[in-house]
Amino acid sequence: MAVQPPDLATVRPGADPAADPLDAGPRPRGRTGRRARRRTGKGLWIPGTILGLIVLACFVWPLVYRDLPSPTAGSLLQANLPPFSPGHLLGTDPLGNDIVSRLLHGGRVSLEVGLTSNAIGLLLGGSLGMFAAFRGGWLETVTMRLLDMLIAFPSLVLVLVVSTYLTPSKLNVIWAISFFSIPTFARLARAATLRLREQVYVVAARLAGARDSAILLRHIAPNVLPQLLTYSLLWVAAAIAIEASLSFLGFGVPASEPSWGMMISRGQAYISSNPELVLIPSACLFLTIVCLNTLGDALRARTGAP
Amino acid sequence: MSDTLTRSPGRSDRPAVRPPRAAGLLNRSPAVRVAIKRVLQAVPVVWGATFITFCLMNLLPGNAAVALLGDDATPEQVAALSARLNLDEPFLVRYLQWLGNALTGDLGNSLQNNEPVTAILGRALPVSLELVVLAFALALLVAVPTAVVAAKRPGGFADRIGMQISMFGLSVPNFVFALVLVLVFAVGLRVLPAVGYVPIGQGLGPNLRAMILPATAIAFALFCEYTRVLRADIVDQMLREDYITTARAKGVGSWQVLVRHALRNSVFSLLTIVGLQFGALIGSTVIIEQMFGLPGMGQGLLQGINNRDIPVVQAYVVVMACFVVGANLVTDLLYAVLDPRIRHGRPAA
Repeated sequence: MAVQPPDLATVRPGADPAADPLDAGPRPRGRTGRRARRRTGKGLWIPGTILGLIVLACFVWPLVYRDLPSPTAGSLLQANLPPFSPGHLLGTDPLGNDIVSRLLHGGRVSLEVGLTSNAIGLLLGGSLGMFAAFRGGWLETVTMRLLDMLIAFPSLVLVLVVSTYLTPSKLNVIWAISFFSIPTFARLARAATLRLREQVYVVAARLAGARDSAILLRHIAPNVLPQLLTYSLLWVAAAIAIEASLSFLGFGVPASEPSWGMMISRGQAYISSNPELVLIPSACLFLTIVCLNTLGDALRARTGAP
Repeated sequence: MSDTLTRSPGRSDRPAVRPPRAAGLLNRSPAVRVAIKRVLQAVPVVWGATFITFCLMNLLPGNAAVALLGDDATPEQVAALSARLNLDEPFLVRYLQWLGNALTGDLGNSLQNNEPVTAILGRALPVSLELVVLAFALALLVAVPTAVVAAKRPGGFADRIGMQISMFGLSVPNFVFALVLVLVFAVGLRVLPAVGYVPIGQGLGPNLRAMILPATAIAFALFCEYTRVLRADIVDQMLREDYITTARAKGVGSWQVLVRHALRNSVFSLLTIVGLQFGALIGSTVIIEQMFGLPGMGQGLLQGINNRDIPVVQAYVVVMACFVVGANLVTDLLYAVLDPRIRHGRPAA
């Protein structure tokens, strides 16, 4: 298909601060205005801090605070406790499981799936795109056409099919999601490599007799990576949303591991009597995704990456 | 002397007699030629889509027959079912058989009740189409005015509100938003039904009442994406393009510059994003149909997956992939219709 994806800058504003005065934030006056603005970038440290807190709560807090109730071994005698009950800060669900510990566990699943699937997509897709652009010729054409076909697929549908056929487990969900992040990263890496390939230092390295692998690893990869990393924040958000959707539909991680999507899906039945069962995990999911998105946008605006 | 001055240079260049053209479909008009070329280019992509689907569903580890029968099936049962599903044949043979049948309109029978898959598809398709069309219409109806108003004064009040809402919308997974809608309109206000589908044959009103919540849930995410893209593009044009400056210098009103000059050209980036988002749109119908109990393609796909009904799942995935490819093709053709440079075969700047 001849449809080119839009320049990423048009998809999400913020990439071009000149065209988008909104994302630049209020402009401090004075001689050191520019530097001051850099240091106090609201778009960076607010979402950054919240994300840091979420990570600490999900990964470190259960290690420090040993008395946290188990997320799955609740007793029916303690079902449906209201928030602020003794021992259960946010109460319990209809099966007597503590909501706080389910939330923390769910956050761990979301972040693990999001980060790992992104790392895989970034590594595989990035190297594929870099290699294709560096070699050029038919290799590039064939690789990019194949990836275009993958992009054309309704990815959620395929993730659904793939993860069920592989029998649901966290690892398979990760593989299925990362598989569909490969084309995006490959495309970005290719675009960046095409620009870098013509740089003087790459030509110089080649003239100096460096091998292709050395040029790719030492000169091109370190310059492509920051762009991919910045973009990957947005993809972590997308991956977390996909994971939550899968769990919501009941095709995600198995029921022994509570996740936010699963909590929302289970709470759906009690939406008229206990709406907080849906609202609390939804709020966590939303907060994480919105922080990742704002942070990603702010970082891209800052670095001028596409 | 005055005669030569008043005559436009373009006219004098044109030969008096047109060169004779060979009759034929390809030479009829540049637009038709472009259209035919694009359609032909889409054929290998559709083929590739079916092949990837088939690969994914057949080469994944695990025997489909075992999955269907459960772990405690006897080897004889597995062998019998494998023979029925043609699992004994080599992969490529199976693919070619399936492709041949599919080309003649036969997508196989459901393993569940032996109903032809095409009949199942035929029932589900109208529901999903209605949902998608409604969502599209809602999203565009709200997104275009919002983007224009936001772009009128970048950084102004309307712009800030619009962009905050769309950032919010891009971060809410659609099922979460749908649940909030249910909570407000079905549980709280009790004005709309939470689940259920009413066929359009039983009256447009009840049908729309059942469809409006799911359509809104899908449309919200689309609206956010469209608004952002359209606004960014209009702002970009207002800052950079010469024809905007010209129009302003001629004294054209500011709204008119926005709508008649900038918006018209921004339609292209809107089209691109509409085409690109189509896959995500289909993905969201799967979730939303399941939530609201609409018997569309998404729900059919989930049921197929739950029943391990391979022919059905395969058909759904292929049809969905074809829809995405088709959406891209239509986008491409619309470019050609809208942009005279493409229509006349000259490369767009």
